Amino acid sequence: MGAPPAVTRKPDAVGLGVMTGLGVGMVALGAGWVSGPWAVLVAVAMLTVLVLLVWAGVGGGLEVRRAIAPYGLLKPGILWLSLFFLAPLWTMAVMSLSSKKSRFDFFPSFTWDWSNYSRALTDFAPQFGRSFLYAGIATVLTICIGYPLAYAVAFRGGRLRNVLMGLIVVPFFTSYLIRTLAWGNLLADAGPVVAALEAIRLDGPLNWLGIMDNGRLLNTPTAVIGGLTYNFLPFMVLPLYVSLEKIDPRLVDAAQDLYSSAAGAFRKVVLPLSLPGVFAGSLLVFIPAAGDFVNAQFLGNPGTTMIGNSIQDQFLRQLNYPLASAMSFVLMIIISVAVLLYSRYLDTEDLV
Amino acid sequence: MPTPMNRREFLIRSGLMGVGAMSIPAILSACGASDTASDTTGGSPGRSLYFENWPAYIDEETVKLFMAATGIEMKYTEAYNDNNEYFAKVQPLLAKGDKADPDLIAPTFWMASRYVKLGWAQKLPLDKIPNAANLRPDLKNPAWDPNGEFSLPWQTGIAGIAYNTKITGREIKGMADLFAPEFKGKIGMLTEMRDTMGLILMGEGKNIETISTFDEAAVGFEKLEKAKSDGQIRSFTGNDYMDDLNAGNFAACVAWSGDVVQLSRDNPDIKFVIPEEGGTSWYDTMIWLTGSENSDAVAQWINWCYDPVNAARITAFVAYMSPVAGVKDELVKLGGDAAAIAESPLLFPDEATLSRLQTWGPLSEDEEAKFDEAFAKITGA
Repeated sequence: MGAPPAVTRKPDAVGLGVMTGLGVGMVALGAGWVSGPWAVLVAVAMLTVLVLLVWAGVGGGLEVRRAIAPYGLLKPGILWLSLFFLAPLWTMAVMSLSSKKSRFDFFPSFTWDWSNYSRALTDFAPQFGRSFLYAGIATVLTICIGYPLAYAVAFRGGRLRNVLMGLIVVPFFTSYLIRTLAWGNLLADAGPVVAALEAIRLDGPLNWLGIMDNGRLLNTPTAVIGGLTYNFLPFMVLPLYVSLEKIDPRLVDAAQDLYSSAAGAFRKVVLPLSLPGVFAGSLLVFIPAAGDFVNAQFLGNPGTTMIGNSIQDQFLRQLNYPLASAMSFVLMIIISVAVLLYSRYLDTEDLV
Repeated sequence: MPTPMNRREFLIRSGLMGVGAMSIPAILSACGASDTASDTTGGSPGRSLYFENWPAYIDEETVKLFMAATGIEMKYTEAYNDNNEYFAKVQPLLAKGDKADPDLIAPTFWMASRYVKLGWAQKLPLDKIPNAANLRPDLKNPAWDPNGEFSLPWQTGIAGIAYNTKITGREIKGMADLFAPEFKGKIGMLTEMRDTMGLILMGEGKNIETISTFDEAAVGFEKLEKAKSDGQIRSFTGNDYMDDLNAGNFAACVAWSGDVVQLSRDNPDIKFVIPEEGGTSWYDTMIWLTGSENSDAVAQWINWCYDPVNAARITAFVAYMSPVAGVKDELVKLGGDAAAIAESPLLFPDEATLSRLQTWGPLSEDEEAKFDEAFAKITGA
């Protein structure tokens, strides 16, 4: 009774070592740990290792090739991630713990200055809170709007499915910025939306509900959340459509044959099967919406700034790179934790 | 006469794209790239010139005429959108002693003083600029450039209050009107700290020329903070405030004189007033960045612009106050719209008006940081 054949092979020490070495080398180049002649040396060493790896793969026997092949496939990804993700991340981490000698000191020195993080968390707590609140509401709204839409197209679209999806997506070929600015015109005090609401006497109740502010829509939280919802809607609809479209309609028939109500069939069959789409869509909406600064800038007021605006301001106007880096890191960590919890909750770990 | 262009739209759009394109790379590549700075205008040194200026801050002919008259290959771009943002853009290069692309830029005076203080501006070749003598006497030798060696103003202007009579339904007189409850949520302020705070502080009876510490200005910041938390202020904007004013979203806002002159040509409801308590006067000034070797072209260009004939052509278009003496006579000679502009009290203010204008005095680096920080906290960013 032998052991079942291993599906995944034990990592090959040589291949793994080479990959790690190349990754570290790439980070070293990207993050500027080495410079001048040393950088050339590192680059040459990395190139040599690559050539040797390829040579071993081509020239070696079947066993060698089999051991090395996975690493060959990983190579482009590893190198790319090292240079464009790990190296910048490292630079940012170093920057977030640095401090500036003077205000216009462009090369902050690394001093383990944790105060950047405490400032990011205390001074900008309202902005963090608002960002996640607005992004959260926008995500829920995109689900409420996007789910029926994707459902209708997937199950009732028939031959027109592709046309309908096209109609949903095409408006978003226009620049993000232009669309947001256009919302500014629509929601303006003398614009069509406010005029229509006033004509049907809805402005009173909406004011009372706090959706309108003193008869205004533009430059209110409503406008910011509305802009986020609108701008990120396709990112919700597309994954939802993909997961709904895969569901076999006969499953619903089967459920109804087993005396399930239509609502029950939806709740017990369609909804669970489409959850991966909801999850993917939520990530695609929530993450960029939490870091967005365009909607808050053009549709908001001084009391609706989001963390993206603050980071932009710290980077570009206050020139406080250490603080801005720390804020970016905090944002990244909070989002990562939120996403992990969310995936736990929806039980879709296989997606992340 | 060219029609007034849409300066603010251009600004916000290009500004935003710029932000997206440059923010992260500027930081992350702080150690790497610097060799982008060499492909400027081409041509032999001294025979080419690159001037980066604010959007819509020149007429359409001047650059062409200058190139035809001198044979200098000139590149003129309008990527200077915001003092602080532009500073952040060139800082990585200049801080390392590298050359930035442009030879000349035109920051606002307080920002120009920062370049000079940091040693990033060269002394102008004044011996080759005889027309510099045409500089308006009141602009000569500012405190931060006592010998007038580093800078020559491009345009000057006034910050005051612009309002839309359709929304206000009445005349606006002073700063108290901006804080009037009837305009709640209808008031705009500029992100340019010195103009917004200058007007507020003068409204509180302060003299901004002598303010040198944050404590002296604290009362103004408190006033602004309260107005913001009361919902009085609708938004803090850059040059895009004119859209909101034109559309009626702002009843009144802090504004720059030339913009309002341009806009009121199309929309007679828009009015500009220097508040009873006084307005701020500011100037954008040309400085020659370090590393540039085109001394001869720089001299010829500035000399060209300080010729009253050329200066008048620019003024007729941009509608700001020219730093060049003698422009008024040239405008009258041009006739038509230009002659009408020569009568505008915003371009050629009388003594009584001038006496109501104040310019910010210099702030030390530490104090300026406090101002900026407090202001950023209020603007919410």
